[in-house]
Amino acid sequence: MRSELVHPAVAVAGVSKVFNRGSANQVDALVDVDLVVAPGEFVSLIGPSGCGKSTLLRLIAHLIEPSSGNVLVNGKSASQARLDQEYGMAFQQAGLFDWRSVAKNVELPLELKGWDKKRRAARAREMLELVKLGDFVDHRPWQLSGGMQQRVAIARALAAHPPLLLMDEPFGALDEMTREHMQAELLRICDETRTSVVFVTHSIPEAVYLSDRVVVMSPRPGRITDVVDVDLGRDRDDDTREDDAFYRKIIEVREALRNGGHDTTVDHETVDPDAVGHPLLGVDDR
Amino acid sequence: MTRRRLRTFALALVGLLAVAVLWEFYKLVGPQRGGEIFGWGILPRANDNVMPHVWDMFARYTEPDRRGSETRIWQTVLGGGWFTFRLAFLGFAIGAVVGVGLAVLMARFRVVERGLLPYLVVSQTVPLIALAPLVVSWGGRVQVGDFVWPRWLSASVLGAFLAFFPVAVGTLRGLKSSPPAALELMDSYAASWRSSLFKLRFPAAVPQIVPALRLAATASVVGVVVAEISTGLQGGIGRLVIEYARQATSDPAKVYTAVFGAALVGLGMAGIVALLDKLLMRGRPPTEPDIVMGATT
Amino acid sequence: MTTATLAVGGSARRVLDAVWPPALFGVAFLVIWEGAVKVFDLKPYFLPPPSSIWAEFTGNLTLIRDAAWVSGANAFVGLLVGTVLGVAVSFLLMRFRLLNDMVTPLAIALNAVPIIVLVAVFNNMFSSTSEIPRRLMVTLVVYFIVLVNVAKGLRQVSPIHLELLRSYAATPVEVIRKARIPNAVPYLFTALKIAAPAAVITAFVAEYFGGPQNGLGSRIVSNIAASRNAVAWAYVVGACLLGLTFYLVSIAMENITTSRHHTSRGDDSRGSGPGGGTT
Repeated sequence: MRSELVHPAVAVAGVSKVFNRGSANQVDALVDVDLVVAPGEFVSLIGPSGCGKSTLLRLIAHLIEPSSGNVLVNGKSASQARLDQEYGMAFQQAGLFDWRSVAKNVELPLELKGWDKKRRAARAREMLELVKLGDFVDHRPWQLSGGMQQRVAIARALAAHPPLLLMDEPFGALDEMTREHMQAELLRICDETRTSVVFVTHSIPEAVYLSDRVVVMSPRPGRITDVVDVDLGRDRDDDTREDDAFYRKIIEVREALRNGGHDTTVDHETVDPDAVGHPLLGVDDR
Repeated sequence: MTRRRLRTFALALVGLLAVAVLWEFYKLVGPQRGGEIFGWGILPRANDNVMPHVWDMFARYTEPDRRGSETRIWQTVLGGGWFTFRLAFLGFAIGAVVGVGLAVLMARFRVVERGLLPYLVVSQTVPLIALAPLVVSWGGRVQVGDFVWPRWLSASVLGAFLAFFPVAVGTLRGLKSSPPAALELMDSYAASWRSSLFKLRFPAAVPQIVPALRLAATASVVGVVVAEISTGLQGGIGRLVIEYARQATSDPAKVYTAVFGAALVGLGMAGIVALLDKLLMRGRPPTEPDIVMGATT
Repeated sequence: MTTATLAVGGSARRVLDAVWPPALFGVAFLVIWEGAVKVFDLKPYFLPPPSSIWAEFTGNLTLIRDAAWVSGANAFVGLLVGTVLGVAVSFLLMRFRLLNDMVTPLAIALNAVPIIVLVAVFNNMFSSTSEIPRRLMVTLVVYFIVLVNVAKGLRQVSPIHLELLRSYAATPVEVIRKARIPNAVPYLFTALKIAAPAAVITAFVAEYFGGPQNGLGSRIVSNIAASRNAVAWAYVVGACLLGLTFYLVSIAMENITTSRHHTSRGDDSRGSGPGGGTT
């Protein structure tokens, strides 16, 4: 507990990431990025395609290595933090394993940590109850709706009780109603578990509703252009979404996005360096 | 579901009947001594000595397999089929194990994949008949303790030689086709290659391994049948086909009993794979069965 | 393909990277083979060394070429006829649903059956000097591979494409031309990639069941029977080369069409092209 109070959940200092260095299709995915996430804080990364927000998330997760700079997670190097399972991760696709029951999916990270069967089952049940899927432990993932699958993925990400949750557009594939419901659920879960979150999204209302701070990013080269503090208090519910303060924050983030890049029209056809291993870019040059 | 299955079954039966009717129809209208189209002798002779009546083929099953013999043809064919089936099953099992092993090796080390895969393709163009004497004479030297290499084991090994290839290629493709997000997830758990192999890559590969096993099952039967012919192994269905084909001048319907027997062996192996399919795909989302046709020789 | 065409700069390096592992494995294999024969003093009837196989191969080049020509012609004719028939019938199956439901289970069942034994029957149907039984056998094998795959390609068109064409009030013929045929083309080439080597191997195996003694398969048999193992293996080398030729040509044809069509076939294109690998 003490160390969590002393160390920031995430400390990114002077980080740059270059894909395909030296070749004709070199991409500066991130340039000189600094970011500190306090324990228990909810930080969203928002920006158009190609701004490097997913790359930043993957650097924190140590799924890729920075070309330069330094990433600390909970006071440890990113690589050590990954080995110690200091974070849980959720993606746009729930990415559940079809061949495992819902409970067994949640148990996966615990199996890899070598927990015994009884402890795993107990924890899986606890987590599934947290995401209100206690009745579905023995179901198969493909029997659940998209929103329920994503809740299983969150339960899986939190199964080992990591202090940090990394999420890459986890609600991007859900319909608007389910999405709002999931957002409220996520806030409740994070409050209950005191988990810090770094959350990548395309949606301005989602970023504002969820976050303590919204980090606005911009492409070519990928960088942080603005940080918007969202002081709406921590007790947020459906009424928050209709609040004037909420609208003002949305406008603030929108303007930050518009001012951030010289090129404001979001060009979705351009290459997205977030897509690691993209055929155009090849594999990153670690 | 069951109604649909009944319909499929009934239609397949109608299809078989249609083939029989076509056969008899050709016998009625076809040239008795064979014929030419544009100077090519591609029309088979329609006389009873070459194209026996369908009912004659089935009538043969109840006749003695040799003059004065007590055993009926159906017993001989069934016995030969069972013999070949067991050899093919062993070949299939060996081939599956070797194929999966090679696939894991290739998935683990890219150099092995690049270096080995082209030769695996080449290996399948080596005529089995050239390998047969090699395997037989190698086997003849194997003697570990009380174990003496039986002659039939060579046939199984040759079956495995054809069976391993589709398994290796299919499994390799399966092992490499895990969704990138799932691989990233395993990465985020700092999972070892071993645990990501067993917890992700293998289970994710199963839908591609099953059709590969289906091809391997047929391949092993073909391998054993050809091996029976090329190693002179007695007692199997391949031998019966050759033997009965030689008697075709005096009894043209007889060879078909063995041909159908060979078909039965193939279907039996397919049944085994269907069971494996059910077992391996338990609890997975129901999908359209993916039909993969492949080399059967 | 995509990576190769895009990264022009590293192409020479890429070719080198693609060539050295198989070259290394091949050389190592031959050296071990030759070494094993020398060290263990294996008799030639047991396993001839690569050096004497090579000597027999170059010495009998014209004979091997003639035999390869016979087997290759059988395989080629069967491949051609089987493909034409397979494509033609798959259009029929597309048009008549009932026929499709009747033929598909039979084709699947036949796929599990060692139909090669039918050569024994075919041999009786035609005169003993005829190549027709073998070509018929190859045709049959190719026919079923092409039939099932192309029929699948014609049938499994994306519902979105069909709805789109419907919204254009396209006639059934137009639907076939604009959606179904383009969709089936990659399936045809996948089928050919499987069928081409199968055709060659079927042509060899068909020769074991009797008939004229002029192809690679029968030459291998007769040379082994006469204990001329090195000569037999020289023919085996010819057989491998013939099989590889068919395989490589089918791959080249597939690559040409896929790079032109660039159709996605539902399977993940990451790593390998449509169909992937080398079935």
